[in-house]
Amino acid sequence: MSPLEVLERDYPLIDSSFRMFCASHGIFTVQDFLVHDLYELEAFAERDYAQDKLKQGIAQMVSKIESQRRPWLNGLELLEDSQINKGTLSTGCERIDVLLQGGLREGHVTELVGPSSSGKTQICLKAASNVSRKYSGTVMYFDTGNSFSAKRIAQFLSQPSDPADIEVNKTVQRVMSSIVCHSIFDIFTLLDMLHQLMNNLKSQIGCQVRMLIIDSLSSLIAPILGGGGAHGHSLMLTAGFLLKELAHEHNLSVVVTNHMVAGEAGISKPALGESWKSIPHVRLLLSRYNAINGSCISILKHPYLAAGKTTEFMVR
Amino acid sequence: MTTALSWIKADETAKEALVRILTERPLVVLPPPLHRLPLRVGNIVELVGPSPSAKTLILIQAAINCILPKEWKGVQYGGLERAVFFVDLDCRLDVLSVSRALERRIIEANGSSMKRNGNEYEKELFEACMRRFLYTRCYNSFEFLATLKTLHYQLQKDKKNQGSAAYMLIIDSIGAFYWMDRALPSSSTGSNNRKILSLQTVAESIVREIQRLLLVHPMLVLAAKSAAFGDKQSATEVIRHSGKRTDEKSSDSRGPRSLPHRDYMPSVWQSFVSHRVLLRASDGENKHQNHPTFFTEWLSPPLNFSDSYTINDDGLLVIL
Repeated sequence: MSPLEVLERDYPLIDSSFRMFCASHGIFTVQDFLVHDLYELEAFAERDYAQDKLKQGIAQMVSKIESQRRPWLNGLELLEDSQINKGTLSTGCERIDVLLQGGLREGHVTELVGPSSSGKTQICLKAASNVSRKYSGTVMYFDTGNSFSAKRIAQFLSQPSDPADIEVNKTVQRVMSSIVCHSIFDIFTLLDMLHQLMNNLKSQIGCQVRMLIIDSLSSLIAPILGGGGAHGHSLMLTAGFLLKELAHEHNLSVVVTNHMVAGEAGISKPALGESWKSIPHVRLLLSRYNAINGSCISILKHPYLAAGKTTEFMVR
Repeated sequence: MTTALSWIKADETAKEALVRILTERPLVVLPPPLHRLPLRVGNIVELVGPSPSAKTLILIQAAINCILPKEWKGVQYGGLERAVFFVDLDCRLDVLSVSRALERRIIEANGSSMKRNGNEYEKELFEACMRRFLYTRCYNSFEFLATLKTLHYQLQKDKKNQGSAAYMLIIDSIGAFYWMDRALPSSSTGSNNRKILSLQTVAESIVREIQRLLLVHPMLVLAAKSAAFGDKQSATEVIRHSGKRTDEKSSDSRGPRSLPHRDYMPSVWQSFVSHRVLLRASDGENKHQNHPTFFTEWLSPPLNFSDSYTINDDGLLVIL
């Protein structure tokens, strides 16, 4: 909530007399101004003896709003942005890449939903290792359940060859240093971290970030839902919109996981339910397929791929 | 005196007026499943449905109908050749879903008339159409309000560039910030006449801004709204209903349900909407080639038509 006083530095017309006029109509912040009827305000300004100055002040406020809002882009500009800035990142599981036509997309929030031991964390770790090996930039890994395993990532990296190989050790070193892991145990820390990440990316402090993984997001949010209040949902959606903004404005591929809980009549359902559905671009359902580490992955929702496509996969 | 006389004098016959109105404000038939009623500028159409029920896909199809020309080098496309303003509140429109759908429509139209032309000039058409698709996204209600408050200038600018006025304003989806607005800090301290920032005042401002905008720039407004979230009460109702569904299934799987549609948006928005279409998922039994099927229900005006549709492998909407 930015108060009007702050604007005076850049917009000299928003001086104390203009602010007095605004205050008499209950406008103290930019948000107040936004919910106000401008025509009504202008009509009041016309009755004032300094009407020209007030009207100019209103016009300046509008131009300030205009300069701050997001630009209108036409389809071609969007397409260009998508082609230049938003590629796909290979997960390292060939079958998943084929299913998703190349992998996880930058600019998308991808949700992995599935019961425990269906391979959610394995996909996250595999994707983290593969993305940091093949692409430049770092992978942010927000770990909420102490499930991040550097050992497992090293195992992925040294797979094809002998682990004693010097070359492999070098890549392991390089890859490990470009995966940044944070342990987060509550929603407020998460929101702080997301804001901080957004600020860093905006001011371009630190190196480029390719991917953000939150495993698992639902274990932070599920405890604050329920109880009938709006605050739990509000925090959930605030986090969701922050993730979407990070993904789109800074070309990150965001991956979050969502666990399953028991629902009505014994059928399990995602911990983040109906009102969460509006957040992710892509929802992928994982299910355990057979005892020997095999899992099934199917598309629940995708902006341009048909829902229902399924493939089996194994993270090795 | 003469000016007064000329003002009184009829300057237009009814026929001329009708022609003028039909060109200025043409009736448009949107692609199915919205084809049941002709719509015109000034209408506020709301699509209510759970996720997923192809709401965004329907909006994209409608947008494509608007940006395509009526005819291009001898090929009929049946569009309006007018601009579309797409305000994305869900912030997850992928431009590829628009471009792929548009390409498919262009290819289809060319295929039917058996006039296969070089890629180049389809590309020219494609680019002209994409230029008429204008897009912005908002991450909270205040960004949305700022967008609406300044949309007037944008529309004027666009009118100058394109030569014709925008025809459609699409909002996807209107309830996106419901929970965030409900939890707005109520800072009612200080002056008495200060408006409390709340879901109610935000919705009032949104409706007022759109009304103002439509006076100057008549447009057709299409808004999606995700259904089936709201307070606890309605959630339990859904559960009760789904429990009941097992014995209902045998009697009627497509008819109107006992579950009424519950609106969660403030009444100021509810009464602003002129047409409301409810999208529902059909029961599991009528799956069409392993794809879930949906059907429409017109809530206002209440129509007896109901269209069934599904989404095929190509991401196309198919009417069953």
